[in-house]
Amino acid sequence: MDETILLAVIAYCLAGIVISVLFLLFGIARADHAAKGAGIAFRLTILPGLIFLWPIILGRWLSGRQINQDIHAGDNS
Amino acid sequence: MGHQYQAIQWNKNKVQYDIAIALFALLYTGVFVVTGLQPSETGNTPDPVVLLIRAFGTCSFLLLTFILMIGPLARLSDRFKPMLYNRRHFGVFTFLLATAHFGLALMWYHGFGPLNPFVSLFVSNQPGGTFPGFPFEVLGLAAFIIMLFMAITSHDFWLNNLSAPVWKALHMMVYVAYGLLVIHIAAGALLTEKSPLYPALVLFAFLIVAGLHLLTGLRERGHDRLRRALEDKGWVSVSAPQDIPDKRAVIVPLRDGERVAVFRDGNKVSAVTNVCRHQNGPLGEGRVVDGCITCPWHGWQYRMEDGISPPPFTEKIATYNLKLMNGMIFLDPVANAPGTKVDPVLFDQSVQRASENTEATVS
Repeated sequence: MDETILLAVIAYCLAGIVISVLFLLFGIARADHAAKGAGIAFRLTILPGLIFLWPIILGRWLSGRQINQDIHAGDNS
Repeated sequence: MGHQYQAIQWNKNKVQYDIAIALFALLYTGVFVVTGLQPSETGNTPDPVVLLIRAFGTCSFLLLTFILMIGPLARLSDRFKPMLYNRRHFGVFTFLLATAHFGLALMWYHGFGPLNPFVSLFVSNQPGGTFPGFPFEVLGLAAFIIMLFMAITSHDFWLNNLSAPVWKALHMMVYVAYGLLVIHIAAGALLTEKSPLYPALVLFAFLIVAGLHLLTGLRERGHDRLRRALEDKGWVSVSAPQDIPDKRAVIVPLRDGERVAVFRDGNKVSAVTNVCRHQNGPLGEGRVVDGCITCPWHGWQYRMEDGISPPPFTEKIATYNLKLMNGMIFLDPVANAPGTKVDPVLFDQSVQRASENTEATVS
């Protein structure tokens, strides 16, 4: 039972890695205008979060909803 | 401020702040391990790895304790407000120390058995201890998972994509994590240590954090009661304009739970919502810089007269109408639409109180 849960978590994270990489390469600028042209360091910074929270981001990506048409990135770190 | 995300936004102050935290952690860990390696009266020398695990864990707990003290301390005294400025880096650093503690503990205590370390963590307990079978490690893991989600969502990208209320709710879970850690350390120490030092220190830290929050809450509750007593049917009595510190604000609680920040800049007084558009930060705890209300958390700015961020930014917050009557500022509790221009109330700084019949109305 415990092993099964562990395998499920690993599978979830593996799916997260694949979707995160695709999102960072092709989807992020469309989903969030403030990320347009942002560097590799920024993308790596949000990668761990994407791996764990990929269903939320995938939903936003697929829905085509955009945020931050005019972001006010006062302190983003 | 910029239009594009950056990985980490450092400036001179933040770098100094981060270096100070890192030096403290380094010093603490070094002293902890070196002191622990001294042979005890029985001649036993503790294992260096165990000492390192405990050093990382306790250091992380101490830093988290300190982080949780910053909020109430800043409310009690302005001197602590600069510490609010870099709390996010502080939190991520604390998480990194917790990760070192978790990783080492997982390898050391669960990495050499037949079971997968993660499975072993869940199925093995500490038989023969004071609380046989008490899952203190699982409590630590639960706290670690909360801290993990806080750390990985600490960037503004997540604030914007999760929405401010969700993001804030997630990060308020730090109190749950802290409670779990208190039990984790106290129970873990009781299982493995004869000395009451660990439980006593944890209890002391917990009481300081809880006491500071209680003190702040009681103080604000007292202020809120006083102000509510002054409310009449419509407008809310704020204070004499001279009583508002220059370039600062007083925060006015409304009946519906909203809070309004009434700022003074020289002889001008304006009111805006107390909630920053960025992370719901307490604007009223900020100050006026170059004519703009500046959030104490991350420096987002809004013009006093209309609540709009100075160009090129376009964020807007709600403004409120004020009235100066008989030397007192009164506030209309009905908020204007975000960005609505409201001329500031002007008052004569040379007199302590406006004359009885003076009335300056702002709409």
